[in-house]
Parts: sequence; structure tokens; C-alpha cells
Amino acid sequence: MRAVAHDKVALAFGALFVAIVVLCLFAPVYAQDVAHTGPDDNHITETVIVDGKQVDVVSPQGVPIGPTWKGRFLLGADSNGRDVAVRLLYGGRNSLEIAAIATLITMVLAVLLGTLAGYLRGFADGVLSRLFDLVWAYPAVLLGVALGVALAVGGLNLGLFTLHSGSLLLPAFVIGIVFFPYVAKPLRAHALSLREREFVDAARVMGSSPLRIMVGEILPNLTSTIIVFVPLIVANAILLEAGLSYLGAGVQDPNPSWGTMIADGIRLIPGAIHLVLVPGVMLVLTVLSVNVFADGVRDALDPKAIVRGRF
Amino acid sequence: MHRTLRSLLGLSLALALFAGLSACGSSSTGSTTGGTTGGTATVLMGTPPDSLDPGLGATTQSYEATWITYTGLVTYAHASGEAGTKLIPGLAESLPSVSSDGKTYTFTLRKGLVYSNGAPVKASDFAYTIQRAIKLGWGDKELLTENIAGGEAFDKGKSSSISGIQTDDATGRITVKLVAPYGPFLNVLAFPAAGLVPSGTAMKSLTNSPPPGVGPYEIASVVPNKSFALTRNPHFSSSTIPGVPAGHVDLNVKIVSNNQSEAEQVLDNTADVFDYNDSIPPTLISQVESQASGRYAKEPTVSGEYFFLNTKAKPFDNPLARQAVNYAIDKRALQRLDSGMLDPGCFFLPVGMPGHPTSPCPYGDPNAAPNLAKAKELVRQSGLAGTPVTVWGGSRAPHKEFVDYYASVLNAIGFKASEKIVADAQYYQTVGNLSTNPQTGWLSFSQDFPNPIDFYQLLDAKSILPTENHNLSQVDDPHIQSEIAALGPVPSSQLSSVVGRWQALDQYNAQKAYLAPFGYDEVPKFFSDRIDFGAAVFHPVYGNDWSTLQLK
Amino acid sequence: MAVFLARRLAALVAVLFAITVLTFLIFQAIPNGDPALRMAGRLATPQQVQDIRVQWGFDKPIYVQYAKTMEKVLDGSVISYTQQINVEQEIVRDLPPTISLALGAGVIWLVLGVLLGLLSAMHAGRLLDRVLTVFALTGISMPVFFLGAIMLYWLGYKWGLLPLGGYVPLTSDPWGWFTHMLMPWIALSIVSIGVYSRVLRANVLDVMSEDYVRTARAKGLSERRVLIHHVLRNSLMGIVTLWGLDFAWVIGGGAILVESVFNLGGVGQYAAQSIGRLDVPPVMVITMLVACAVVVLSTLVDLAYALLDPRVRLS
Repeated sequence: MRAVAHDKVALAFGALFVAIVVLCLFAPVYAQDVAHTGPDDNHITETVIVDGKQVDVVSPQGVPIGPTWKGRFLLGADSNGRDVAVRLLYGGRNSLEIAAIATLITMVLAVLLGTLAGYLRGFADGVLSRLFDLVWAYPAVLLGVALGVALAVGGLNLGLFTLHSGSLLLPAFVIGIVFFPYVAKPLRAHALSLREREFVDAARVMGSSPLRIMVGEILPNLTSTIIVFVPLIVANAILLEAGLSYLGAGVQDPNPSWGTMIADGIRLIPGAIHLVLVPGVMLVLTVLSVNVFADGVRDALDPKAIVRGRF
Repeated sequence: MHRTLRSLLGLSLALALFAGLSACGSSSTGSTTGGTTGGTATVLMGTPPDSLDPGLGATTQSYEATWITYTGLVTYAHASGEAGTKLIPGLAESLPSVSSDGKTYTFTLRKGLVYSNGAPVKASDFAYTIQRAIKLGWGDKELLTENIAGGEAFDKGKSSSISGIQTDDATGRITVKLVAPYGPFLNVLAFPAAGLVPSGTAMKSLTNSPPPGVGPYEIASVVPNKSFALTRNPHFSSSTIPGVPAGHVDLNVKIVSNNQSEAEQVLDNTADVFDYNDSIPPTLISQVESQASGRYAKEPTVSGEYFFLNTKAKPFDNPLARQAVNYAIDKRALQRLDSGMLDPGCFFLPVGMPGHPTSPCPYGDPNAAPNLAKAKELVRQSGLAGTPVTVWGGSRAPHKEFVDYYASVLNAIGFKASEKIVADAQYYQTVGNLSTNPQTGWLSFSQDFPNPIDFYQLLDAKSILPTENHNLSQVDDPHIQSEIAALGPVPSSQLSSVVGRWQALDQYNAQKAYLAPFGYDEVPKFFSDRIDFGAAVFHPVYGNDWSTLQLK
Repeated sequence: MAVFLARRLAALVAVLFAITVLTFLIFQAIPNGDPALRMAGRLATPQQVQDIRVQWGFDKPIYVQYAKTMEKVLDGSVISYTQQINVEQEIVRDLPPTISLALGAGVIWLVLGVLLGLLSAMHAGRLLDRVLTVFALTGISMPVFFLGAIMLYWLGYKWGLLPLGGYVPLTSDPWGWFTHMLMPWIALSIVSIGVYSRVLRANVLDVMSEDYVRTARAKGLSERRVLIHHVLRNSLMGIVTLWGLDFAWVIGGGAILVESVFNLGGVGQYAAQSIGRLDVPPVMVITMLVACAVVVLSTLVDLAYALLDPRVRLS
């Protein structure tokens, strides 16, 4: 971490990301004290005072107002007369929450299965590698959309637990599944090569069980690779969630997310471009800050790793 | 050049000249009302027709093309407004004689009719056409199989012909026997699926090269999901069928699935007709209204938008809760969500449908602010405040937006509303499944034909089915049942005699608040400046009547 | 070589089989997803629904349905659930926009990515490098549909420079084809330009510090010759791999989003619409095609690797 601390730019962007997260977490405070409205409150037939004049929040043709730069409708309204700034923050919460959970799912699956495949080799590796290849070969967005649409209707019932169709965990689950082979495959390769090293031989000779070796010897050496991947997956998860929500296969109504907000906004181009710009710029800033920070982390931990950055 | 070649060239040039001259000649015989004839118009469509084969097509887009290509025994007058709901003789000489028990219809085919390929029309072609529509699986084929005697048996393969249809090619007589009296039966025969095609036409989908028919146009050059053309039928003139105009222009229909692009093209005159089934993007409407006011109008359609209220589940089994919803909905808000293309209303039967009440709305003026205070009071009185309500909706704009608004209103008056948005393709299936038992949600219905019984099947207790339920409010009201039974069999041609009773029924329905209607759809009649806007008819059943399009 | 190809072919078949099964299963998971109900339309009677069920085989067990669908796929007679058209013919009709998009964008991002990467590496640490890095990073962080929408708004609506979406065939109007494809190409390639320039930059910097490069410099070769002859050739292989896979990614993913925003009417958009309509046959066929393309391309890439670098053995 000290190495990262030297990279001022990476640090600055990391701080920006944290600031965005904190801002989104304060959504309820903003909604209550500044905007005086919730994310789902419709104000379609109301008016608001702009520059001393009374203006329709939503015009009779259905076009909402743009930013007022005041407390109410700071960043404008959407076609249902809802406050864009409030929805931006609540949407951010949703988008970031989904990205975080998806990353968790991806990393857990990848670490578990990648290590197992790389260390155990043989039949287990054969099966797992085929699994990785199958999910990896399935076109990512198509898989995400197909799963997302299919699950959006009835939710997911895996016996052990149920995810209702309005739950944010569904898109998180879908994204987590889509990405895990991209991490599992490199981790497996890494585990494969680590396996041949002397300290693993030594542990085997000493009689340690495969489990102890995997957890005690292999995993610690994978740590830097894992850490390098985490911010990358976060960035890609935010982008995939936006893409899925744009296509209607991600976050479901009326939950806001940056992706659904952009999708709703694209419908109203050209008269209400703020509906696309506001969530879009926020999204790019967030992902950019993660990416810059990810660069810094990689430079510090594993400069040789040429990681693609975008799946 | 070689001598033979030169003479061949000369001959072909002469022939070309002759053909060109005769083409010019024939186009001028087609004019009816004295407008210009000739030229080509570009028509845009947002959704491709589900099929251009008349025996299959069942969407409004396909009807726009097929109703002017395949005329049935009866057809509609080519006029706007209520005049267009009148049935006139098509391929039959006159409207049929109906037996006193209402079960037998007798027609006589006009003499000397030919199809667009020149083949003569025979009476037996009618039987073949109906059989073909059933065999191919026309989307509304139950209108034929359930009503014509022997239709079911034919559909199931138990019979090789329909016993209820008798034809005589020599006299041109066609007799149709019904299972039971069915008022709208003539409306059914006016569908393009009952538009005659020659006997022997292949019993499979011919959507890419539709069969010949009798009508102002014939369909050609089909590129599925992309484009098709309608050229004027050389064997049809304005005197072939009185009341059915021969077309003035040839048509190129192009599928453009982006509404913005579609509207822009018509606005800047690179295309001529905007698909009335699509909406002009809201941000463009003010531009259209100012720049193109002479070629844009909002036309009413007989189609209603509602929120259904399940009378068999909490909280809407309680009439106070249902009335509260009707008091609370701000129909102007929903109008804005529909880009202004909604005529706020409170009655189930839309404006333009015979039977639409003329009395004031029981819950206040739909064009004024709603009475939220009264709604909250009613909810409190009912003791149902805090009841969780799941609101169902479709995913396509503005259906989703309607439900977003509706949910926020329900929350405002004291319920705890949450939403469930379902892909449009799935929507009616999902809410129509009794095991889902939806409490409330969006519902829209547009007329199949101009007879109120068409709408009232949605409130018929007999329509409540375990899957494919159409009566989403699960209304089971004895008064409604008895009125439906009495008014249903009245033939469409005698509707005016029972209009008063339909109006009374609709008012009764409004007071019972089985639904929360919020308005009737309006659609854009929007053309380029090449088209004579006033002469073009907007038909109450089929929308833009392309056979009345002419260049200025 | 023959063994390698045979193995890859076997892998291709296995992957395709698995993918089609997966797709089929995903759509079976939809409750109330009875396609017969959907096909029957709104006011259908239960009898009509049952008739459709029998006609299409929905009353048979899943594996029978799957077998029947695959049979139809392989002999080119798949009909979609919601429209009465042949899926494979529809896909063929929709290929031109998708191929135009993928190839055009592919060329653009390859050329610009390599160029910008080289520039960045040659000026490593200096202002130009920093600016290009920011540009690259922003490109990577941009959702393609957002970028597309923004370009549509500014270049299309506000300044009227380029058309508002839609596709014009190359054969009917080459200039029109170009102007309609320009924005989609840019939207799609900006992401990959960002990725490539950074990868190339890292590669080049890596190679530049290798021994043989120092040797070449010591021998007195000009910087440019060093760059082109030694550095570029070595970095090229990484680029070739990436390009092949990215091309497949575009067809399978990026194309869907860009085609939807610009309404190009390509295969991606058809897939997205079919999914929205819960229409399984087109989704199955398209997914198979894309997966096929991915496997074929990665095989070609491996072959190219083997040809370019004799040290690599095909295993």
C-alpha cells in the first residue's frame, strides 16, 4: 500500500471514488433536507418557480424541465416528474451495491474454483475448465440479457434461497456469473505454476493435506493477482449493470439505477438531454476513478501484469 | 451495328414507348374525386405487420395494408368518424338478408368481379377463404369457428368443409348459418381475413408473396421486417365497388423502428406518412405542432386505457377503495406521460363507440385536478389504509411510466404500493393467470369492431378463465350479465335502437368502479406536405386509409 | 497441425452443444413463460392454446423440444415464436449492418490503438503520454450506449452533421453507408482504442527494456528502426490475440448496445428484440453463431501465433 501511496494521481482518484460512494450513501439526507421529495414521488402536474416564473415540471407534451440549480429539481426532473438529483443518488446506491455484490460473487467463485482447478488438476480441473470455457464462450452481454430477462419475470429459486424479481441481488448474481471465468482462468494458470514451486513440494513432503496447501501456500501467493483484479471487476460490473439495465434486463422498476436512468433519458432525446447526461457523466466519473485507482494498485503490486481493463 | 440487332432495338424501343404511353393512359382513369392521380408515396411503419397474408395477419399494421387489398362480402364505408363504422356491401351486391331468428345470412355475389390477377371471382371462393383463414390459424379465427355452424368441426379436422356455408357458383348465392345469433357477425366478415382469395390458394403462409385479391391495391416486393410495396390494382376502378375508392398513388412502405427518425423524416418531407400506431417523440411534438400544423392532427381512436381493480382480492373487493382510486387518479398527469396523446375520460366505453355515456363523470371532471382529499377519506373509512398493493405493468414506455405514477398515487392516498413490471410480451399472460391473482395493474383495450359487446367481454363473468383471463377485475355482476345477454345478439346494423341501454349500462359500470379508466388513446395523423391532408380519410377502425391518399 | 485442428473442432462442437442447452434452459426458467399462451394472443380460448401447444410440440418433454428445435436449426427451417418468419433468413438479412459495424470499428480501433499506444510509449512520462493515457482511461470507462447517445444528440440533432441512426447498404449508397456508420464506429471503437493503446504502450515499454533492443541500439540502429523492427513485431502477437477476441466480443456484446442506440437493424438488435419478446429460436441461433465465431477466431489467432513465432508449439 505504501507504493500506492506514492502514486498521487491514483490516490486522488481513489478518494474521488470514496467521495462518490459517500455522497450516494447520503441519498436519504439529500432527499429529505434539500430536495424535499423522495426518489419515487411523481410531480407530473405540479409547477415550480424558476427565475420568478411558474413553470410546469412536466410540459403537456410530456417533456420535463432541465436543471433549476436550486434545492428542488437541482438537476431537473424526469418524465414522471421525479427529482433527477435524488434519483441519481439513490440510483448510485443501487448501482454501486450491485457492483460490490457482483464483484464479491465473481471473486469468491473465481478464487475457489480457479484455485481448485489449478491445484487439483486431472479430472476436477477438466470439469472446471470446461465450465469456465462454457461461460466464457457464451457472449457476455447476451448471457447477461438472457439471464436477466428470464430471472426478472419470476425471480430465482435455488431451493436454498429465493431472490424475488425486484431484488437487486438478481442483477448482481447475473453479473457475478458472467464475469467469474475472466478471473478464474488467470487464477487457475497462476495456481498451476505455483504448484510446481519448491515450497509447495516441501509442504507436501511434510504431509500437509491438499486443503492446507491450497489455503496456506497457494492462496497467499495469489493475493496480489486477486487484489489487482478487484477494482477491475468493480469497474466492469458497474458498466455491465448499466448496459443490462439499458436493455431492460437489469434493475427493475421503479428502482433507479444509472443504467435505467440513461435508458429513460435516451427516449426523450433531444429535448431533455440532462436525463442522459447527468447519470452518464456520474457513471463515467465513477468508473474512471476506479480505473485510475486500479492502475495505481497494479503498478504498485504487479507492474508486469498487462491486464486488459475491459471485458 | 448488326442489322437484326438494330431492328430488334428499334422494336423494343417502340414497345417501351407504347408501354410507357399506355401506363400514362391507365393512371388517369383511376381518379375518383378529381384529385391528382399517379406518383408514389412513402409510408413509414414502426412495427412490421405480423403477416401480409390476409389469412394470418391480425395486427393493425397488417390490416392497414390488407383491408384495401382484400375486400370481403361486406366492408366499411371509407369515411372518418362514426360514418366510417357503417357497413356497406363489398363483394356482395347488397347487405345480406338475415333470417328472423338471426342465424342465417344470405348474400349474392356481384357479377363480373375479377381478382388482381384477372381471374374471375366465384361464390365458392368465399367458403375457401374462410376455411383457409381457419386452417392457417388467423389470430382471431375463433370469431369464425365459434360463430359459423360447422366451424369448430372443420377446425378440428373432423370435417373437410364448413357445413354452415353454402355457395352456388351459378347464381352467386352465399348462405351462412350461425351457431347462435351474433350481433357483430357482419363486422367479422368485414375483416381482411374474410376478404376473398381464389380457391386453391396455397394453404400455407404466403406472407412474402401474398395471394391476389379484390381491392384498390395489390401487395408486392415484400422484404420481411424491412419493406413492401402496394401498387394500384389494374383490375379495380372506382366503379367496381361503390363506396370503395380506387387508389390514387402507389405506396412504398418502409419499416423504421425508431420513432424519432420516423417523425423527422415526415417532418422534413423525405417520407410521406407517419405510422399512426407510433408516437411522435414528446420533444418533437411541439416542433411538429408549430412547423407542420397544417398536416398534423390528433385523431381519436376507440381504445381505452384503464387500471383494473381486482374485485375478488383485498383491498379492491371493497367498493370504497375502488372509488378512492377513481377519485385520486389525475388523468391529466397520465395524459402528459402519454405525450399529450390521451383524451382524459372516466367511462369504460371510449368516445366514438356507440354507448359512450354523455352524462358527467361521477368522480369529477377528468380534465380537472383530482379530489385527493376525498380519496384519502374513503381509504380511511374503508379501514384499509396500509394495505400492501402490488401494481402490475408492462415494460414499454409509457405503460411503465403509467404504473410508476399510479403506484405513487396509491402511496399518497394511504396504501403501500409496490410495482411489478413485466416484459410486454409476457404481460397479459402473466396478469391473466388466476394463480398470479393480481390486485391491480394497467390494462388497455382497443376495439376489434365498432360494437360495445366487443368491450364488454372484458367485464363478462363468463370470461373469467384460469389462464388467459380477460376479465382482470373478475367482475361478476348479475345486472351486467343480464344486459350483455340481452344486448349482445342485436345486429350491428341495429345498434342505434339500443344505444340508450348501453349508455345506462356504462354509467352503472362507472358507479360500481370496477375499473379506473383514465382516458382514450389519440393517435397522430401526420403527413408530409406532398399529401392532400384534408382529402385523406382517417378511418375509425383501420386508421390511415391509404386508398384515399393523393398528392397535392 | 491436423491433431490441433481436429481437437479444436471437437471443442467447438462441444461448446456449441453446451451453449444451446444452456440457452434453452434459461428460457424454460421463465414462469408463465408458456410460448403457446403468448403465440395464441390476448383473447384466445384454452382450446386454441392447446392446439398451438400440440402443433409446436410444447406438450412434449424438454429434451424432445430441444431436439426438435436443434433439428430445425441445423436444416435452416427455424421459425420464430412471435413472428411467422424464418429465423435464419432473417439473420442473413441482418448481417450487413453488424458486419459493417464490427469490421469498420475493428480497423479503426486497431490502427488508432496501435498508433496512440506507440505515441504514448515513445513519449513515456511526458505530457503527450499523460494526455493520451487520460483519453484512453476515459474511453475504457465509458458505456458505449451513453457515448452513442451523446454523439447522436450533438452530432446528429444539435449540429445536424450526421444522420440520426438507421443503416444504408453499401451497395445502394456508399457515401450514405459511410455517414450512417461513422458514429456507431466511433462509439464502439473508443473503448477498444483505450484498451489497445494502453496494452501496446505497456508492451512496447516492456520490450524496449529488453536486452536485444539495447543491443540493437548499441549497434547504432536508428530509434525508428529499433521501434518498428524489434519492438513492434514482438508486441504484435499480443495485439493479434486481443484483436481476435475483441472482434468476437463486439459481435456478441458491444454490437447489441450500439445497434440498439443507432437503430442499425443488425443481428445484435434482432437478438435484443427477440429476448425482449421472449422469442427463443432467434436467441438460440444467434448465440450459437456468436459462440462459433469466438471459437473459430480464437483458433485462427492461435494458428497465427504459431506461424508468427516458431517458438510457440500448438498444443
